[in-house]
Amino acid sequence: MIKKREVVIIDYGMGNIYSLYNALKYLGAKIEVADNPSKISKSKILMLPGVGSFKKAMQQIKKKKIDEAIFIANEKRSYIFGICLGMQLFSLSSNEGGYTKGLGLISNKVEKFLPREIKNKKIPHVGFNEAKCEKSNKLFKGLKNNDFYFVHSYRMLKEKLSLDISTTNYGIEFLSSFHHENLFATQFHPEKSQENGLKLLENFLNLT
Amino acid sequence: MLKKRLIFILLYQQENFYLSRNFQLQKVGNLQWLKKNYNFSLIAKSIDELIILDVSRSKTDIKKFTQVLKKVIKNCFIPVSVGGKINHLDVAKKYIDAGADKLVINSDLFNLDLIQKMAATYGEQSLIGSLDYKKKNKDFVFFTNNGSKQVEVNPNKIFSIVKNFHIGEVMLNSIDKDGTGFGLDFDLLKKVPKKFNKPIIYSGGSGNHIHILEGFRKKNLDAIATANLLNFVGDGLLFTRNELLKSGVKLAKW
Repeated sequence: MIKKREVVIIDYGMGNIYSLYNALKYLGAKIEVADNPSKISKSKILMLPGVGSFKKAMQQIKKKKIDEAIFIANEKRSYIFGICLGMQLFSLSSNEGGYTKGLGLISNKVEKFLPREIKNKKIPHVGFNEAKCEKSNKLFKGLKNNDFYFVHSYRMLKEKLSLDISTTNYGIEFLSSFHHENLFATQFHPEKSQENGLKLLENFLNLT
Repeated sequence: MLKKRLIFILLYQQENFYLSRNFQLQKVGNLQWLKKNYNFSLIAKSIDELIILDVSRSKTDIKKFTQVLKKVIKNCFIPVSVGGKINHLDVAKKYIDAGADKLVINSDLFNLDLIQKMAATYGEQSLIGSLDYKKKNKDFVFFTNNGSKQVEVNPNKIFSIVKNFHIGEVMLNSIDKDGTGFGLDFDLLKKVPKKFNKPIIYSGGSGNHIHILEGFRKKNLDAIATANLLNFVGDGLLFTRNELLKSGVKLAKW
C-alpha cells in the first residue's frame, strides 16, 4: 500500500520540488520536504531531486550537512531515489564546472556529452525520449510506453552497471536509469513524464 | 530517438488569460474560464510542455501570479516553463518555487550578468531565451519587452551571439504572425546557421494541425508552441496531437 509510504524529499535549495511533491502526493504517499540532516538520516525512503549545477548542488549539500545524513541513510540501506541532477550526485565525480566530487554512493563518473560522440546533436538533450530496458526491470513494470522527459547536458557513464538499467539513444546509447541495491536513479524526470512517469514512481514505491 | 515537442502557451495579465494578436492583448477569461475550457490535468496529455508567461503591460503582482500558476499546474505532470518580468534572481526563485522547471527570459536576455547568475544556480538547461521578431523587407528585426524594444544587434549576427549565451533553448516568435492563425513563418528558420546547437522552439501563427505538421517537417526545429486559446479549445489539442501522430510526426506516447 502506497498510502503507508513515508517519503522524504531532500530540499537543498535547488530546482523545483513542487512537481515531484505533487506526483508523489497524487500517488498517495505521505511526503515531507526536509533539509534537516537528522530527519534525512532517519528516513527510510528518500528522494533526491534537482536541476542545476553539480558544483553548486554539492556546495549546498555540504553546507547543510546533508551529505553526512545521506551516508548514514545509505549505510542503513534506506531507499534513495535520485532524479536528474540527483542521479548524477550519486557519482564519484563530475567534470561540470571543473572537477567536483560527488556523494560517491556508486563509483561511476559524470561527464558532459561530447559533440562528436552524439554526432553533433544539440545540447542540452531536451524533450521526451525512450528509455530501453530488459523486461525484467521492475522499475518499468507494466509500462505501455517508455517515453520520458529529459533535460540535461551531462550524464552518468555506464561503466560497471549492467543489471536493472535503461539506456537511451541520443547519438550514442547512454545510461538513463539504474537500480542498484537500495539505490534508484533516473536521468529523466518521472514527475514530468505524464502517466509513464507516474507509473514508474508507483513501481518504485511498491518496491520499497 | 528524441521526440518533437508540442507546447502550449498561456498568456497571463493581472489574474486573466489573454489572446495576443500581433502583440495586442485581448482578454479571454480568468482562472475559472481556463479551468472550464482547459482542464490542464487532462489537456496535459495532449501536449509535451506548458509555458506560462506574465505579459502584463503594466506593473504586476508576482505573488498573485505564482498563486494562479500553482493552481493551473497542480496535477499536471509535464514540464512547465514560466516567464515574465524575470529581472532579478529573486523573481527566478519565486517562479521555480511555484513549480517552474524552466524560465523564459525575454526582456533581460541581454543582461548577461543576470543570465550568468541564473545559469550558475539553475543550470543553462533551465533557461529559455525568447526573441520576438518582425520581418522588415527581407531582413528581420528582433524585439524584447513585449515587442516594444528593438534589440540593438546586427540581425544577421544574432544567432552567433545567442549561441554563446548561458541558456539551454531559444524560442523564436513572429510578431507579424502572432495570433493570426495563418500559419508559421519559416523564413527566419532559414537564417539559423546549420551548426546552431541549441534546441529551437518556434511560435506565432499556428491556426491548426496542418500548420504545425508543416513546421515539424522542417529540419532544425525541435518544438512548436501555440498560444491560441480559441483555436485549440475543447478537444483541439488532442485532435491536433492525434493528427500529427497519424502523419508520422515522432511525438512522445503515454
